[in-house]
Amino acid sequence: MDGFPAELARVETDARSASIRVDSTLYPIDAVYGAAYVFLDRCYVLLDAPEAERVRVTLAWKKGDPTEDELRALVGEFTNELLSCAWRAQIAKESRVLIESATSRAIGGAMGPPSIDDLEKFDFTEESFEDPLGIALSWEEKYGKKKPGEAT
Amino acid sequence: MTELRFHRDLYRQAAVDEAVKALASYATFSRADEATHFVVKIEAATPVRERRVAGEVSNFALGLTVNARGNARGKRR
Repeated sequence: MDGFPAELARVETDARSASIRVDSTLYPIDAVYGAAYVFLDRCYVLLDAPEAERVRVTLAWKKGDPTEDELRALVGEFTNELLSCAWRAQIAKESRVLIESATSRAIGGAMGPPSIDDLEKFDFTEESFEDPLGIALSWEEKYGKKKPGEAT
Repeated sequence: MTELRFHRDLYRQAAVDEAVKALASYATFSRADEATHFVVKIEAATPVRERRVAGEVSNFALGLTVNARGNARGKRR
């Protein structure tokens, strides 16, 4: 088949099908499933593992007799979809922690303000932070009248 | 007769079983499972019908496998 290495993609016009060999060390199996799923409405799709770390995807034309160009285009579309799925899987993997964090915060916020019971259980014993400039002092603490005997 | 071979590493047995069950009324099915594959043999009245039923079984099995994997992943999280 023009444009692809012969050992990776093959078009069989008589069988109205095309097959693609995917290296599963380059493309995760979830990407193969994702790309195959997209083609279920147009093709009959069969996966096989003819050897270790290789997945063979067979796309059989559903209706009518396809030309060689149509089958070639099918292979091209599948490989593009495969790359897209692999890339999306990679992005999802890298940003999973961020997504989970944002989701849990959103759900936590949606639960509303804490109840009196929640506040009673809350541990307020944390030591105060350092405040060398006295920014956190109230006006009374800072400028109020000093009690007799209190150092200035 | 058409023989479909579903690799055990790629397809779930429940998905293959369900696919065969769903299309049982359109052809005659027989199973001859092997160590590495679920093997489904299909016989229908005409070659055209046989090809179509075989294709639909493979799509059905793949779709159910993909859905089951997605559900399993969702439960693990």
